[in-house]
Amino acid sequence: MGQGTPGGLNRQGGSPGDRKSDGDKKEKKFEPAAPPARVGRKQRKQKGPEAAARLPTVTPLTKCKLRLLKLERIKDYLLMEEEFVANQERLKPQEEKTEEDRSKVDDLRGSPMSVGNLEELIDENHAIVSSSVGPEYYVGILSFVDKDQLEPGCAILMHNKVLSVVGLLQDEVDPMVSVMKVEKAPLESYADIGGLDAQIQEIKEAVELPLTHPELYEDIGIKPPKGVILYGEPGTGKTLLAKAVANSTSATFLRVVGSELIQKYLGDGPKLVRELFRVADDLSPSIVFIDEIDAVGTKRYDAHSGGEREIQRTMLELLNQLDGFDSRGDVKVILATNKIESLDPALLRPGRIDRKIEFPLPDIKTRRRIFQIHTSRMTLAEDVNLEEFVMTKDEFSGADIKAICTEAGLLALRERRMKVTHPDFKKAKDKVMFKKKEGVPEGLYM
Amino acid sequence: MAPDPNSASGSGTKPEPPAKAPAKDSKKKDEKKDEDLSEEDLALKQQLELYVERVQDSDPGLQKVALESMRQEIRTSTSSMTSVPKPLKFLRPHYGTLKAYYDIMTESDLKKLLADILSVLALTMSAEGEQDSLKYRLLGSEGDIGSWGHEYVRNLAGEISQEYTKRQSKEAPIDDLMKLVHQIVAFHMKHNAEPEAVDLLMEVEDLDLLVEHVDKTNFRRTCLYLTSSARYLPGPDDMLVLDIAYMIYIKSKEFPRALQIALFLDNLQYVKQVFTSCDDLLGKKQFSYMLARHGTTFELDEEMCADDEEREAMQEIINNTKLSEGYLTLARDIEVMEPKSPEDIYKAHLLDGRASAGASVDSARQNLAATFVNAFVNAGFGQDKLMTVPSESSSGGSSGNWLFKNKEHGKASAAASLGMILLWDVDSGLAQIDKYFHSNDNHVIAGALLGVGIVNCSIKNDCDPALALLADYVDKEDSSIRIGAIMGLGLAYAGSQNEQIRSKLTPILGDAKAPLDVIAFTAISLGLVYVGSCNEEVAQAIIFALMDRSEAELGESLTKLLPLGLGLLYLGKQESVEATAEVSKTFNEKIRKYCDMTLLSCAYAGTGNVLKVQHFLGECAHHLEKSETYQGPAVLGIAMVAMAEELGVEMALRSLEHLLQYGEQNIRRAVPLALGLLCISNPKVNVMDTLSRLSHDADTDVAMAAVISLGLIGAGTNNARIAGMLRNLSSYYYKEASLLFCVRIAQGLVHMGKGLLTLAPYHSERFLLSPTALAGIVTLLHTCLDMKNIILGKYHYVLYFLVLAMQPRMLLTVDENLKPLSVPVRVGQAVDVVGQAGRPKTITGFQTHSTPVLLAAGDRAELATEKYIPVSPILEGFVILKENPDYREDV
Repeated sequence: MGQGTPGGLNRQGGSPGDRKSDGDKKEKKFEPAAPPARVGRKQRKQKGPEAAARLPTVTPLTKCKLRLLKLERIKDYLLMEEEFVANQERLKPQEEKTEEDRSKVDDLRGSPMSVGNLEELIDENHAIVSSSVGPEYYVGILSFVDKDQLEPGCAILMHNKVLSVVGLLQDEVDPMVSVMKVEKAPLESYADIGGLDAQIQEIKEAVELPLTHPELYEDIGIKPPKGVILYGEPGTGKTLLAKAVANSTSATFLRVVGSELIQKYLGDGPKLVRELFRVADDLSPSIVFIDEIDAVGTKRYDAHSGGEREIQRTMLELLNQLDGFDSRGDVKVILATNKIESLDPALLRPGRIDRKIEFPLPDIKTRRRIFQIHTSRMTLAEDVNLEEFVMTKDEFSGADIKAICTEAGLLALRERRMKVTHPDFKKAKDKVMFKKKEGVPEGLYM
Repeated sequence: MAPDPNSASGSGTKPEPPAKAPAKDSKKKDEKKDEDLSEEDLALKQQLELYVERVQDSDPGLQKVALESMRQEIRTSTSSMTSVPKPLKFLRPHYGTLKAYYDIMTESDLKKLLADILSVLALTMSAEGEQDSLKYRLLGSEGDIGSWGHEYVRNLAGEISQEYTKRQSKEAPIDDLMKLVHQIVAFHMKHNAEPEAVDLLMEVEDLDLLVEHVDKTNFRRTCLYLTSSARYLPGPDDMLVLDIAYMIYIKSKEFPRALQIALFLDNLQYVKQVFTSCDDLLGKKQFSYMLARHGTTFELDEEMCADDEEREAMQEIINNTKLSEGYLTLARDIEVMEPKSPEDIYKAHLLDGRASAGASVDSARQNLAATFVNAFVNAGFGQDKLMTVPSESSSGGSSGNWLFKNKEHGKASAAASLGMILLWDVDSGLAQIDKYFHSNDNHVIAGALLGVGIVNCSIKNDCDPALALLADYVDKEDSSIRIGAIMGLGLAYAGSQNEQIRSKLTPILGDAKAPLDVIAFTAISLGLVYVGSCNEEVAQAIIFALMDRSEAELGESLTKLLPLGLGLLYLGKQESVEATAEVSKTFNEKIRKYCDMTLLSCAYAGTGNVLKVQHFLGECAHHLEKSETYQGPAVLGIAMVAMAEELGVEMALRSLEHLLQYGEQNIRRAVPLALGLLCISNPKVNVMDTLSRLSHDADTDVAMAAVISLGLIGAGTNNARIAGMLRNLSSYYYKEASLLFCVRIAQGLVHMGKGLLTLAPYHSERFLLSPTALAGIVTLLHTCLDMKNIILGKYHYVLYFLVLAMQPRMLLTVDENLKPLSVPVRVGQAVDVVGQAGRPKTITGFQTHSTPVLLAAGDRAELATEKYIPVSPILEGFVILKENPDYREDV
């Protein structure tokens, strides 16, 4: 029986592998890098190291023991991983080695590096690149560049002389979008809102609760609303409420003004919208707040200028992002406008915007509350009778009341008084109402 | 009105922070808040304050009125889910007063009434760790618990579990608690909150209560929750939970599910009970199909089925004799009967140029690969283009030709491949293999013997043809014949615990003259036959065989199969392994660690035991000398233990990623195999990518393992992406014979059974683990740890161990006479519906087909017609349908 033959074969088959691994240790022999799985195709964002690092989702969402057990199971595994990695690092500190390697890589990269754009991947080791100025080049890709992450259109680092690809810039978030992220929570909280109880409750149910307590909706068996639109007269507190939401939530809060979405170049507006929602999805759970949506969301009609058409396209992209083919996860949308009647009906249909929250002008009770909020930090004279303003028949919005208070304070300041008096308020009110009614003095034609 | 900052924070349902906080600033706030309150609120507040005062009045009548109206206020207040109900909020400052008053109150009904209200108030007030709400509830009037709302009941349940642990440690009586638990459980079970009821009962360790509360509306959800929790509970709780689920199923007459649990518990007593308590004949037939799929050996007796004829029919189903027929029905329906040649699989024409110049490979190796590919691809179809074609030409003509295109031991695999092609078809299989018995080439006879074993794999027959044919050859002179016969017996009788085979094979282990390879295969075969049985005698025999090995023999790779044979005996049996593991510590140090790892990994396979995973990971953390090999089984062990549930699989994939990063070569070699085991017949994209990366590894062993694993994860799926990867690999490695061989094998695996088969040992909605299937896979993986000496050497026929795991991945519906019946079904991705309210959809993204249909990994089917009712709720494999008596044709 062929004891000899296969043995010989084995030795033959085995030796190259052994030699290779030995060679690895003695001298760092160059080996061609393994070809990546897919070259040059656009990758879906789900993959890559981040996706691998993502933990499995745990069903059921309801708080129950099973969920606890599952989460604990995941925790156990993570602890084991931590223990393992820590052990390995302790056994074989890789700091120095990596330090050495790093400096070598830095040498190869040279400095300064120029920033360019990857136009096309030709094969495993070559690509066509372009820099912001000048022609396109056919260059090599250095072996230490992670080819899995290269894709056409990404920003790359190039060697300053030979222009070969020496690295890639990972931050692909449009700087326009990163600006929109609210880093510092606004100071306004729900406590600073006078009245609007129903509105607060509605927005909480639609926006906050689905992010914090998804199981409540699961229990009942409904899908939480995707977004809300806040509408009402100017100065009734739409933006204020949005600020309060941002203040109270720990979710990422992205705020945009509708006009920001209108861009100079064709296609930039829709791109920005896409980017905005992509970032929101990456950072989910998140809340997107688009103020003054009427800037882009007006009814469609036969547009003649290119600019108008572009605005409409921006809106169409927005429609798609709100309820399009791709489902958005934990992204909630808040829109605000004071002209809801001019908005495109497609924007407001249920499924895109499920809840419409009206902000009426404050009634007497609310007005009193708002006055209290604004005057709580002012030093008022004894004679001030706020009830007079509260009970008046004029239509004040929240902003008007604030203006009155400020104006009264300014009047007091003008006369170098430390206290605001009743006449101050009266004057201030007249002034504000005068401005509001565009020059017609109050009571003239009554 | 300014919302209280505390209540604005989202959920008003959670208990408020310690009572002293509100007490401190309540005074300050109250004054301020008074002005802020709207009129109704103010009125309410004053009203409540009045009640509080009245309660402390001396007149009992007044007290009663006050308490009653206070209760009314609390109950009627419909709160939004975002904040604390107003009456509760206004009563908060008075909680202390009421509490103090309660203490000085004399015993009366009123006192109980007050206790009730205090109990509700405590919902928002009581400090962390104090079970005020529970305390007052116990002192209270014990009225209907649901009348205070859901939140209250939930809170009470939470406090009960705390109190319970407290009392347990003090060993205090718990009768009063249990009374309350009764009420709460009844409430939960009536209100669709089964998980909560189960949770509470688990906390107070009294799940038996559940049985009396289930009815036909909620038992499904309850049991689903129980069975899915069992996966994650530490032992012995998990067994207890499953026991309860089994009892509920029996009580609710959901016998197929009960049988599932009985099989999971590996409790034949329960299986019998299912048979005896079900009086529906069709039901019993369905049970027989389920037993057959699981691969259990089971004898029906009179008690289970009185009618002799019917019993015989059922026994036939259990014996799997109809499997081949059903499989061929499926194949005919899908129209894949046409045999495929290896070239059809390689699809070399899709590659550019250089692959066709593969002449540099020695052709014997290539022919051997073609043999295997042909065997896997045409498995069970009864016809192919290499082995069975020729009957019209001169007898044994061209099949002999192909046979003799293989060299020496290659002929054994070629002859055995005939068994694979005729898989499950015992009668014609034995007839066709018969001709090789008369060959004068020992290798051909060996192959024929192995072929007989393969044909009979997972089929039982009363006449025991395999035993009759093979038994004589076990003691032949030639070792290859002996191996063929022994391995054949192992495959044919896997899991049967057949006494005759034991008495036949154990002497070989003790035979000092027997060659090492014969002994190794004997150990494996015994392990397979007695898989998961913990049989003492077999274990003893293998242990002695191991102790008898000389120092030199211990270094051989085949010796490593002995511990594996030992391990298979304890497959999934957890603690039962300990005695044997102790013994293994006395072995020669060369094999000691290896044996220890193998035993542990087998014993805890499919348990999801995190501690064991930790143990294995710890072992993998060492950096060893080159000669040490025990880390391979440890890596496989991680996969074997973690494969029990989806979360474990996902997390183990992550851990293996770390092993790749830090491990030495011997660990890296095992990692692809572990990945292959975790996702067997389930081509996950991320695993595919990792394996594809590893298949280009500089170390050929890693690359070979990765290639084989690519085949394993795609086994029987026809996955185009893996097929494409393998095609590219075949041209990439066209010069390297051994890698090319692996690529070919992997290609054969991917197209196994032309895409009708699966290797997954988990079945029945990924609930049950077939021990024989797992044993087959694990054996192959262990041999892959040392690919060069075993698969690439002269023992390539170990690849046939996979036959143990091969099962059609089909749904075949049959009518009451067990004839195939075509009905429309919806097939889609299964959704985890545990603990969801209502009747959620169990599948998503479905398509409607008519049976028989193929089910991919993670797929689930449901009937798309009302005309029939399935006898088993688990639509996999063979399912009997009966006509729906209520069905009316739409006009």
